Amino acid sequence: MNWGERWHAHVARSMEHPMFVPLYRTRARRRLLVAMGATGLLVMWADAIVSWCIAPSDMAVTVNFVLLAVALVCYLPAVTALNAATRGLASLPEHRLDERQVTERLRAYTVANTLMRLILTVVTALVLAAMWGDGPAARVPGAAVALGLISVWLTHYLLPLLVAGWRLPDPPPDDDDPDDEQ
Amino acid sequence: MAEEPVFNRIAVLRADRGVSRRDLAAALGVHYQTVGYLERGEYSPSLHLALRIAEFFEVPVEVVFSLKPFPKLGSTS
Repeated sequence: MNWGERWHAHVARSMEHPMFVPLYRTRARRRLLVAMGATGLLVMWADAIVSWCIAPSDMAVTVNFVLLAVALVCYLPAVTALNAATRGLASLPEHRLDERQVTERLRAYTVANTLMRLILTVVTALVLAAMWGDGPAARVPGAAVALGLISVWLTHYLLPLLVAGWRLPDPPPDDDDPDDEQ
Repeated sequence: MAEEPVFNRIAVLRADRGVSRRDLAAALGVHYQTVGYLERGEYSPSLHLALRIAEFFEVPVEVVFSLKPFPKLGSTS
């Protein structure tokens, strides 16, 4: 088994850990996690907009760090718990998933692709509208471009997981776990 | 395209043979939650998986799966 396979095996085992179960046991909790992850993404986009408006300045640097910290606080627990809830549906390689999981993953990718297309359309329209008045002299701060690209990448990366977490039905009770039978 | 329901008797067969979800899942090479979703009728298996489930229980596939609901135990129909 190579290092990649070992890593995926470790990730797959970690996702079965009962520690995360209370976080995603009900649909309401899973959707709250999705909202938390989406908030993390929105904060990243807000960071890019703030940089566009006030960078370069000391104030922009401070605001950037605060917003990045807020985004991380939302992002990390939400992504960890959603990955456990979906059993790695959006993150494990296909050969580690069974046919139901692969089907669910394809559905999540399809919905995420549509959402991403809408997001890119809206972002493109807003950027063009914001730069329209200045014409060829329009300038965008480098920090805003960098944060905008990171936000696009992160949104593209995270959307399938958020969609999968949103759609996930309540898992069937585990017949080896008396807690789950209740 | 709306998905047509496929009814199954996996839970009955599993209980009858005293097989846990995890054991059945391990034999089929799927996640144990997939067995649960199959039993609840929330997932319809591929033909390959359906045949393997029938093979596991050593019954014809139509004993496990049907396009019509299975008669309840004790019913005359």
